[in-house]
Amino acid sequence: MVDFKRYKWPLISIGIIICVLILIMSIGYTIGILSEDPDGLEKVLITFRGESWLEGLVSPWIPILSWIDNDYIAGIIGILLSTTIIVSVFYLFSKIKKKNR
Amino acid sequence: MHIPDGLLDPITTIILWIVSITIMVIGYFRMGKLFETEDAEKLIPYIGVLAAAIFGFQFVNYPVPGGTSGHLVGGTLVAVILGPWASVIVLFLILIVQSFFGDGGITALGANTFNMGIIGGMVGFYLVKLIIKALNKTKMSKRIKLTIATAIGAYISIVLAAIICGIELGISGAVPLAIAIPAMAYWHLLIGIGEGIISALIIFYIYKTKPEFITTETTLLGGE
Repeated sequence: MVDFKRYKWPLISIGIIICVLILIMSIGYTIGILSEDPDGLEKVLITFRGESWLEGLVSPWIPILSWIDNDYIAGIIGILLSTTIIVSVFYLFSKIKKKNR
Repeated sequence: MHIPDGLLDPITTIILWIVSITIMVIGYFRMGKLFETEDAEKLIPYIGVLAAAIFGFQFVNYPVPGGTSGHLVGGTLVAVILGPWASVIVLFLILIVQSFFGDGGITALGANTFNMGIIGGMVGFYLVKLIIKALNKTKMSKRIKLTIATAIGAYISIVLAAIICGIELGISGAVPLAIAIPAMAYWHLLIGIGEGIISALIIFYIYKTKPEFITTETTLLGGE
């Protein structure tokens, strides 16, 4: 049985991060503190090669979550997924290191 | 700074994969201090919180003059909290999740880990250490020293990572070297300011409220 009391603060913190992200996104794009302009690398590539060249780059796979076109859902899923993966990997490291100690 | 698939040539891609994997394998053995104490497992849920925060910050782009935008990379930030070796592994795992959304390529994961994890994280960490050493001559408090050093270290590491990324683009033939390096450096001289400010504010807050979460405190600030 998972001891939720032990994980109370981390879980609350993740909840707060998700809420803050949603709030920042909803307000940020409206008042202009967030931007959908290309980032530094994209800007360099677009300036030198053009947008169509950048979009035409060949990828060996279709990103498995690229079908999510809603930024809010993508943000929440991304946060939960990265938290789960990192916690699992570090727990695994911790168990293995404890076993080998 | 997320490199998409198909941009780098196969040789550069393979070399950067090999370097990144090697550093992560060494990192697994070197980050032992993180797990030395009996209650180390208590820290792991908070590593999850850190991952959530980094992903959240990487998700939102702030405007930068000149029609471009930037977002937190977080390499130096994670390195200051968890140590340089763990930061490469954390950044690699976050980059995997981002590649699921198409932000950065799957074949370019090695290059992205090299730029954002190794240059952004490890190099950033040693820059912070160097800056703190210089600041030790002043009478500033430990918190202020760490905050200033994080801001400068994060800023320089992002500009360095951008220059390295420019070199990779040039070597791969995507953009001529003479254009790629100055262009990447120029934009990231502006974008890096956000990285420095956000990283410093987070470190300032954590060191004020939960200093025990800065696992590198002794390495960075000890011996004073």
